[in-house]
Amino acid sequence: MADQIAKLTDVEFGTELPAFDPDTSLENVRRFGKYVGWGGGRFTDHEAARKEGFPGAIIPGVMSQGFLGAMIHRWAPTAQIKIIDTIFRAPVMVDQPHKITGVVTNIEEDDNEVEIDITITNEANETRVQGTATIQLPA
Amino acid sequence: MDDDIQAIRDQFLNQEFDEIKLEIDGQRFAEYSKACGELDEKYTDPNHADFQAPPTFVATLVGRRNLPEDFPQLNGVGMDAGKAVEWIAPIRDKMTLTGKSHLHDIYTKTGRSGRMVFLVTRMELYSEDGTHVANADTRTVIRERPSG
Repeated sequence: MADQIAKLTDVEFGTELPAFDPDTSLENVRRFGKYVGWGGGRFTDHEAARKEGFPGAIIPGVMSQGFLGAMIHRWAPTAQIKIIDTIFRAPVMVDQPHKITGVVTNIEEDDNEVEIDITITNEANETRVQGTATIQLPA
Repeated sequence: MDDDIQAIRDQFLNQEFDEIKLEIDGQRFAEYSKACGELDEKYTDPNHADFQAPPTFVATLVGRRNLPEDFPQLNGVGMDAGKAVEWIAPIRDKMTLTGKSHLHDIYTKTGRSGRMVFLVTRMELYSEDGTHVANADTRTVIRERPSG
């Protein structure tokens, strides 16, 4: 498993991307809320989130999707993400460790494109978010 | 396809229901990038020669409404089921985009707890010169309450 790749020929079917541990800290989510939006209590305050019926504060879905994009760019800095589709299966909890893993599922050599399946799991190895991405790489 | 869903599809699919101007703020997408863990300075440093928003950033751009004004009230609570983005061209600091929204898909899935209705709202984003730069989809699921 290479830490980084630069071009299409560096990629093989089944290649695993380096796992990425996103920053799910309350401090980071509050910063996201301040500058980007999604600063409501369910995202930035554990007690407020519990009052809404959640086990604690949750990561905004748009931030989870951003984690997936960052993971791809860390692995393939020359890649252009063309499409990224994200399914929110369950909340990603603030202040809890999560891991993002990815695997190459298809390579279209004619278009220099690679398809990747990406998953965010919690410490119990439960899937919280699933994504698929199509990226384009230099030949 | 259930008759009621087909009727909604026939009436609402691909009909534009919202248009909004969106001013792109480079500091906002730089902070978004840093919070999400981006390391490439073209996403995080406003002084970088190729400074631009990461493709997923467009999911944070929202219109004035998520559904047409006359869309029927469905019997259930809506939840955010997912986001999809399609990158077409770079989005940069101080661009003014036009976001045009329509319902892109309506479909159902039936599980043990009953029927779920999925609504896919697509915002198409255009630059000032009319270039189509991105699509941002929001997938909402409505888990219907049992009737009776």
